[in-house]
Amino acid sequence: MTADGQRQNSRVLSGVHFMLGNYATVEGALAAGCDFFAGYPITPANEISERMAERLPQVGGKFIQGEDELCSIYAIAAASLAGAKAMTATASAGYNYYQEGIEYAVAVEAPCVIVNVQRCRGENFATQADIMQMRWGAAGDHEMIVLAPSSVQELFDYTVRAFNLAEQFRNPVIVASETTIALMRERLEIPGADRIPVLNRKYTDLGPDKYKTFDAPENGVPDFSPLGKGYHGLYTINPHDIDGSIEWDPIVYEKLYKRITGKISENEHIISHTESFQLDDADIALVTYGSEVRPTLDAMELARNSGLKVGVLKLGTVWPVPETRIREVAKQMKAVITVEMSIGKYAGEVERVVAGRCVTARATKNRGIGHTAEEILEVIKGVRA
Amino acid sequence: MKTLNIGICGFGGQGVILSAVILGTTVVTKRNMYAVQTQSYGSEARGGQCQSELVISEGPINSPTADKKDILIALSQPSLERYLPTLKAGGILIVDPKTVTEIPTDVKVVQVSATDTAVNLGNRIAANMVLLGFIQAATNLFSIEELLDVVKDYVPARFIDLNLAAVHAGVELAKSYGGTF
Repeated sequence: MTADGQRQNSRVLSGVHFMLGNYATVEGALAAGCDFFAGYPITPANEISERMAERLPQVGGKFIQGEDELCSIYAIAAASLAGAKAMTATASAGYNYYQEGIEYAVAVEAPCVIVNVQRCRGENFATQADIMQMRWGAAGDHEMIVLAPSSVQELFDYTVRAFNLAEQFRNPVIVASETTIALMRERLEIPGADRIPVLNRKYTDLGPDKYKTFDAPENGVPDFSPLGKGYHGLYTINPHDIDGSIEWDPIVYEKLYKRITGKISENEHIISHTESFQLDDADIALVTYGSEVRPTLDAMELARNSGLKVGVLKLGTVWPVPETRIREVAKQMKAVITVEMSIGKYAGEVERVVAGRCVTARATKNRGIGHTAEEILEVIKGVRA
Repeated sequence: MKTLNIGICGFGGQGVILSAVILGTTVVTKRNMYAVQTQSYGSEARGGQCQSELVISEGPINSPTADKKDILIALSQPSLERYLPTLKAGGILIVDPKTVTEIPTDVKVVQVSATDTAVNLGNRIAANMVLLGFIQAATNLFSIEELLDVVKDYVPARFIDLNLAAVHAGVELAKSYGGTF
């Protein structure tokens, strides 16, 4: 069985499904226009490759099983530069190997989507422990855009958005999937193709004589040149001038990396996506992301039922950190509690942003299984006391 | 109905996961409800212990698994022993007396002769379809036509007749059991 009872061949499978999270990721990619995938087998991400291998040829795309992760990440960077909307998928141990290719994709500003189905070291257990690696894994100066879906529906929706953000900012975009949601089947509503916003590549209006590969305004994004139309494209990981040629001048280097990072850090307000639940009258905010959103919302209900004014700030994007919204929320609270499935990593970011505006605490768990609502409630009660 | 938590457990190869997937697909795609299905199993291809959970609700579901099940379907003795503690007080335990020999007496038990029924139809592998038919008739969460429609999508073409017959047989077993839960 490969397609949840679906035997359709269209790019957008509009309708109501009961679908595996990994399959929903694929359907989101296809709906966003993905036409190239390369990946190397690893659980719990295999169903992504499996379904891509079946679906991409149906819609005129290309599937490659790389000989390893390094091949796969460079294949999507190169396919992207050749004009494709490209994706790869792996799980934590495989994600380690991607870092060099991510550094390259950042440097040459190749839009691409990378799905990391986080798993516990060597095993198929749930975790969010790669949250820092997805931000900082690659060498060199870079900013990352990382989306954290919490459901099968969001694996679809956020993967669509990942492709759009990749094109908009010419940067790799990471979908921080998790064992929990990737191997879960759940209700998925795929809208009509006309109701899915798809951002396509922006090509230059200039002719080959005027065009420069990396010419862009401050904190801006350069236009692409079409392949095979007489443009001189040069894409090197080395420091490069606006025409793409290698240039070691420290001033050129500084200017290049100020723009490559600034295009993301200065656009946090465009990229950030958060959702607020019952924060208006709350004095304790639970800040969380990914699958941990689910028990956290249940914990909020439990707390409300026992008279505690608790709300939830859900981070749909984790990188760049939605600082503006976290700061706003912290100002109104007596306490902010970060809930996550790791030894406590992103909590450090939340606490940095809260910066003493209120008390902070952490609900962390790292034993291959997510929090229960009751466990989170205990932390809330501890903070109240 | 607020939420209904169902656990199905047995050996790998008994169709534990497929049964939960078919139930979930039916309530979501035919009844416009919400469902979350998760699973855990050993690395053995067949014979290892296998468990699938299904949460069904009329609205969106947060926590994907429930500590306590309203209905536990146990298809093997070892899995019954392991997962019986997850049955809610007052919940319903469904067992196949062919594969579960030591049936607990301190909970509400429904015995469904799924394996024998499937063997009579020609293949014991369809025992899970007998159970699905039984659950359809006993819960009325969806119609038999809706269930059959989904079953057709999930089973290999050459086994469709066997599986549909097994579903019908399960519905008949529920009638003789005497109505809904």
